[in-house]
Amino acid sequence: MTDANNNRCIAITTDGSRCQRRAQAETGYCHIHMPASMPTVDQVADASPTTAKSPEEAARQRTGPDAEIPIERDDAAEPAGESSWITLEEEELSQHELRRRLVQELNALARRLQRAYPDYEPPPFSIERIGTLLDGQAEKMPPGLRRSVLKRLRGFMNEDLFELETWKGVWFMVNYTVEYQGDMLKRRLKGDYVTDEWGMDWEFLELVRPFLDFLYKVYWRVETSGIEHLPDYDRALVVSNHGGPPPWDGLMLMTAVLNEHPAQRLVRNLHDEWVPTLPFLSAALVKVGQALASVENGTRLLNEDELVGAYPEGDQGVGKLFRNRYQLASFGRADFVRMALNTRAPIIPVAVVGAEETFFTFHRSRTLARLTGLPYFPLSLRFPWLGPAGLVPLPSKWYIDFGEPISTAEFGPDAAANLALVSQLSEQTRKIIQEMIDQRLSDRRSPYW
Amino acid sequence: MIKETIILVTGVGDYWGRRLALYLLDQPGLRVIGLDRQPPTEKVPGLDFVQADVRNPLLVELLRDEHIDVCYHLKFIPGDNGDELASEVNVQGTMNVVGACAEAQVNQIVLRSSTMVYGAHADNAAFLTESSPLRGGRQMTSIRDLVEIESFVATFRRQEAQIKLTILRFANIVGPTVNSPMTQLLTLPAPPVLLGFDPLLQFVHEDDVVGALVLSTNQGADGVYNVAAADPIPLSRALRLVGRRALPIFHPLAYRAAEWVSGPNTGSASWTPLPWDYLRYRWTGDLKRMQEVLTFAPRYSAAEALQEVAHHHRTRADRDGAGNLAQDEEQLRNTLRHRRSMKETRKDESDADAGEQT
Repeated sequence: MTDANNNRCIAITTDGSRCQRRAQAETGYCHIHMPASMPTVDQVADASPTTAKSPEEAARQRTGPDAEIPIERDDAAEPAGESSWITLEEEELSQHELRRRLVQELNALARRLQRAYPDYEPPPFSIERIGTLLDGQAEKMPPGLRRSVLKRLRGFMNEDLFELETWKGVWFMVNYTVEYQGDMLKRRLKGDYVTDEWGMDWEFLELVRPFLDFLYKVYWRVETSGIEHLPDYDRALVVSNHGGPPPWDGLMLMTAVLNEHPAQRLVRNLHDEWVPTLPFLSAALVKVGQALASVENGTRLLNEDELVGAYPEGDQGVGKLFRNRYQLASFGRADFVRMALNTRAPIIPVAVVGAEETFFTFHRSRTLARLTGLPYFPLSLRFPWLGPAGLVPLPSKWYIDFGEPISTAEFGPDAAANLALVSQLSEQTRKIIQEMIDQRLSDRRSPYW
Repeated sequence: MIKETIILVTGVGDYWGRRLALYLLDQPGLRVIGLDRQPPTEKVPGLDFVQADVRNPLLVELLRDEHIDVCYHLKFIPGDNGDELASEVNVQGTMNVVGACAEAQVNQIVLRSSTMVYGAHADNAAFLTESSPLRGGRQMTSIRDLVEIESFVATFRRQEAQIKLTILRFANIVGPTVNSPMTQLLTLPAPPVLLGFDPLLQFVHEDDVVGALVLSTNQGADGVYNVAAADPIPLSRALRLVGRRALPIFHPLAYRAAEWVSGPNTGSASWTPLPWDYLRYRWTGDLKRMQEVLTFAPRYSAAEALQEVAHHHRTRADRDGAGNLAQDEEQLRNTLRHRRSMKETRKDESDADAGEQT
């Protein structure tokens, strides 16, 4: 809308150049460099007293989770009677001493309780009980396995748990979060927040990020590859297969790029025409940066140098039967090619494997679709028999593979009117995505792990 | 002496005609003739008022006699559903004025329209360009009238290429004094909205409406322009900015109730200020032409305009007794200022005339 440079973030990056990301309305900063009101990860870490740790502790943290955790005197890890498994080393360190005393006190408490109430049994989650349980199990293991299990456990039972400073830090973080959320809520209730001209609301996205991250990391255990094919600043059109229903792949693709791409770019997905007619969903999807799929919208977004996500299969793809999974439906009018040609944006083919196994559509009912006004009405083993619970997606294992960009820069400005070229590019993209899907399908072990 | 521009403003008896006339009368080198069926209820000092209906066939002779250069046709009666007279004045009146202007060879006609003519639809592009089809109308008489006017003006534009026809499609007009569907909605104690829908809306401040109308003739801009502040605002945020708590209604019930009350396909227009669809889907206009061709930059952002509405409605509550008197004084001061300036210009003119005679 306005001059291109004015829309850029005014922050200076570490290498001394201007940040190239798009600035948020009225702030002049992009979502990463947004000051004060949205503290960055570093600021939070600095402010928290959890960093007050011994130097070797800090050093170990710095080496990262992959680094080998040093284990001294593995022989001492041999179980030797009641609760000794946890006091591995009898060193003079105050922390270890503290820990030992804590366990002793707990044991004394348990004994006293047992004397007072002869029926009393320590609860299964008490330290002593877990200790004896593990003791018994550990004795049955061969020494090599026992050693590695204990090593694991040491990683689990972080010494920080017994440190006062940790709890102070946790308390600070909880306070800070509550205060920040409270402030944000107060601000939002007064209407003091910004959305971009598409309705994108970063605070809303940050609010739903934990849920998306849970789906991404835990539920579907998404693995991505080829993320380096996405440009850091420039426009690009990401074209993917579509599965469901409901189609979660768009949101997962967005989360993948936010989590894995170094520039943390936002993929502006284009959604189907019937999404705006749905309550809540329409408002929420607009707030996470989506827009209606049309050549005008796509072209405009690409001209703003955004990363646009298109799903040319549309509801054909979402409603496909389970036995047709991973067989790309028709790419329709190939509007995505027109957007790319209008703006000379590269097309990046993406294969999402897993989304099409979250739901078993074995039949599409035309009558029910007409009655409910939905574009298709899927029948599965669970839906609609179990009601909304039938729509809960299955926890399949997902892979998102980004392919090599297909350049459209060499075509002229009128190329979008060339039907032959449009259909040829569409077919080419479709073939690449199908090949990528087939490759992944033959490589994976199982749909669910 | 430079020939002064003679401007005809229709509908000076109504809000927009009077606002524009007041503004134009402050500008040098302009002569303003106001036309309406009823004289303005509040005096417009210095206005040359002609009492006539816009449907009057003798209008062409008035235009010829007065050598009108620019005609602002602002006569538009919002009217309730089924108000036949309003529709006739709106559509027939515009046809008559535009036809008369072409016959009297007026330079430019400016019409005020609304982005509501695009209609609110699920498949609307996020930013509707001026060439988008006009799909609004079935729910509300005033939108239907605007669509009808715009479509015949488009045909007329093709036939009469020499006359400049400017149409400004304004987004939701808000401000302290204007009475528009959007201000009606925002000032309800609990504005009804559709549960789970939060469309992006464009707003424009009432002063910017006058500003854009004036600029369109200064620029001699031909064609159609969407006019709005650059920042579209979600409905929920707009209500927050005005300090209202929305009353969400589940949308099938809302539509059903609308049909039950006011017949099929009306979409609630008779008992809520805006039809439901306009609170459900996006109908924001593309502002590229406004920024680049009309070179108009609204002075108020949408958030500022809404904050002013909120401020006004807060202060109006305590404006009683002494406050009323202060307002009265302010009004008289403005009137005096106008009268003095008019007297001076008249004196200047008579001096100039005397100079020419000697």
